Amino acid sequence: MATGQGDTESDGESYTRRWEPRLERLKRGWSRYSEHNIGILGLVILGIFSLWAVVPGVFAPHSTDWVAYLGEPPIESRLTAEQVRSLPHPPAFGDPFFAPLGTNANGNGILSLVIYSASNAMYIGLAAGLLSSLVGVPLGLISGFYGDTWIDEAIQRFVDIMYGLPFLPFLIVLVAIRGITTTNIIIGIAVTSWLNNCITIRGETLSLKERSYVESAKVAGASDTRIIFRHIMPNVLPISFVFLAQDAAGAVITQASLAYLGLADFTANSWGIMLENIKSQGYIFDAWWWLLPPGIALMLMAASFYFIGFSMEDVTNPQR
Amino acid sequence: MTRISGKYLAKRIVVSYLTLLVIMSLLFVLLRSMPGSFITSMISSGMTNEQIQQIRETWGLNEPLWRQYIDFMINYQTGNFGRSPTYNAPVADLMIRRMPRTLVLFGATFLIGFIIGPLVGMYLGWWRGSKKDKSIFSTSLLLYSMPSFWISWLFIWVFNYELGWLPSAYMFTQFPEFQWTAFTVMRDVLYHIALPIMSLTFIGWVGSMLIMRPTMNQVTDEGYVFLAHAKGLSERTVMIKHAARNALIPVATGAVVGLAFLIDGSIIIENVFNWPGMGQIIVTSVLNRDFPVAQATFFLLAVLVVIMRLVTDVVYTYLDPRIKFGEGE
Repeated sequence: MATGQGDTESDGESYTRRWEPRLERLKRGWSRYSEHNIGILGLVILGIFSLWAVVPGVFAPHSTDWVAYLGEPPIESRLTAEQVRSLPHPPAFGDPFFAPLGTNANGNGILSLVIYSASNAMYIGLAAGLLSSLVGVPLGLISGFYGDTWIDEAIQRFVDIMYGLPFLPFLIVLVAIRGITTTNIIIGIAVTSWLNNCITIRGETLSLKERSYVESAKVAGASDTRIIFRHIMPNVLPISFVFLAQDAAGAVITQASLAYLGLADFTANSWGIMLENIKSQGYIFDAWWWLLPPGIALMLMAASFYFIGFSMEDVTNPQR
Repeated sequence: MTRISGKYLAKRIVVSYLTLLVIMSLLFVLLRSMPGSFITSMISSGMTNEQIQQIRETWGLNEPLWRQYIDFMINYQTGNFGRSPTYNAPVADLMIRRMPRTLVLFGATFLIGFIIGPLVGMYLGWWRGSKKDKSIFSTSLLLYSMPSFWISWLFIWVFNYELGWLPSAYMFTQFPEFQWTAFTVMRDVLYHIALPIMSLTFIGWVGSMLIMRPTMNQVTDEGYVFLAHAKGLSERTVMIKHAARNALIPVATGAVVGLAFLIDGSIIIENVFNWPGMGQIIVTSVLNRDFPVAQATFFLLAVLVVIMRLVTDVVYTYLDPRIKFGEGE
C-alpha cells in the first residue's frame, strides 16, 4: 500500500524493518482467514474457475465449435435428419461421440461451453466489482471525511436518488442506450452497485476520522487529500475488499439475469447465454444436462465470491 | 411518545419529494436518450409523410424536448400519467390494475423473508462458529448465489412438470370451470402465487439473515445479555427477549436494501411466471420504448422506495429509543 514514500534510508535493513510487520500481519490474517472452511473452499473454487478461464483448452474435451457426430471444424458434411432429431443429446461417452455432459440443440458440447464461458463470468465479476469499488470507496471516503458539510449532503442525496431507481430496469435502460456489449454491461452494473459500498465506507470513515492519528496528521499539517488517502483509506481497504467480493458475485448473477431478459452480447460465450438459449429453444424441462451445469457453475462462481468475502469480513472484524 | 419532531419529519418529506423530482428528470433524460421510439412500430412502409407527421403530432413528439419535459413534470404532479401507445389505454388504468398484483407478490415475500431471515440469523449469530452455524450459513450463501430465474425453472420443473401440483404461469386459471366467487378467486390466486413466492423467498430471506447474524453476534458480548444470563434466565429467553430485540435494529434499516433486491427479483420472477404485474410491464415497456408506461412504472417503484426509506427511519426510532432525530438542530 505504501511503498512509494520518500524514505531516505533504502538499505536492506530498513527494507526488512518496513516489511516484517506487514508480513506478520498478513500471516495473522491468513491464519484467521483459513479458520473458515468456506473461505478455503471459495478460494479453491475460484482457483479452478481461474484455470478454466486462463487455459480452457486443457480442461475442455473439445472446442466450442465442435459439433456432435461431425467433430471439430472445419466441418464439410452436414447432420442427417435423424442425427438432428437426436439433439440435444444426453451425456454420451464414446458412443456415438464423446460428450460427458451431452450437447445442446446445435450439437455443441455442454461441458466445453461451460468451461469456455468461465472467463466471461470471471471478467464481468472482477471488472464490475473493481469498478464499483473504485467509484464507491473514494466517494464514501470523501462523504465521510466531510461529514455534515454540503459535500456529504450532496453525495448522500445522490445515493438516495440512485436508490430510488430500480436497479435492473435502470440497467436495461443504460445498456439499451450504450449498446449491448460486455463492456457496457460491466459499466452498467458498476453504476448501479456502488451504493452499498459508499454508504458503509462513509460510516467507517465517520468513526475513523475522530481517531487520534488523524488528529495528529492534521496538526502536522497534512492536506485533506493526504489524510483521506494515506491515513484513512488503508484502514477501510479490508472492508472494501469484502464489498468487492460481494459486488463481483452480484455482477455475475446480474449478468445472467440480463441474459435471461435477452440483453447479452450473444457473440460471447457465457453461462447466462446458455440458459437463455435453453429457454428460447424450449428445452428447459427436456434437457437436464443442459439446464443444470450452467446454473450450477453460476451458483458456484457467485458463491465462491461470497465465501471469500464473508471470510474476509471476519479477518477485518476486530471484535470477537 | 413521538420521538420524531414534526420539523424533522417535514424536512424529510420535503427532501423526499425533491428526490423524486430529480429521479423523474433523470428518467426523462435517460429514456429519451435510448435509440428508437415507440412510433416506429406504428409506421408502415406505405404511409405518406403527412400521416407520419400526424402520428407524431398525436403522441406529442413534435413539441420541443423542453416542452415535453415541462408537460411531463406538471402532468405527474396532477396524477396524469398520459396514454400508452402500445396498450392504447390510459397509463393510470394500467398501473391501477397492475400495482396490486405486484404488491401482493412483494408483500407476501417481504413478510415471509423478514420473518425467516432474522429468525435464522438470530439462531446462527447466537451459535456463531458452531458446526450448525457453519453448515447452515454456507448453504444459505449457496442459495443466495442462485440466479432467480434458474431456481424458478427448477421449481417449475419439479412442482409443475413432474408432479403437476402447482400452476407455472399467470395469476388466474385461464378457462375456469368453477364459479367466480370471492372465495374461489382467492383460492385460485393463492394457488397461482405459490410457486412465484416460493422461488422469490427461497433466495430472498438470506438478505436479512446476512444483516441479522453479525449484529446478533455483537450483541452476545453486551452487558445486559451477561446480566440476563446471570439472572438465571434460560438460554432461549435471553436469546429471543434480550439479545434478538436489539439486533433487529440494523435489520429494519436493511429493509430498504432488501426492497431493492426484491424489486430486482420480482422483475425476473414476474417474467418467468407470466405474472401480470409491474415487473413484467417495466421490462416490456423499456424494450418497446413505450415511454409513458416505463416512466410511470419507474416513478411508482421510486415512490415505493422513497416511502419505505421514510418509514424505516420512523420504525428505527421506535425500535431504539436512544436514537432521536431532529433534536439539537
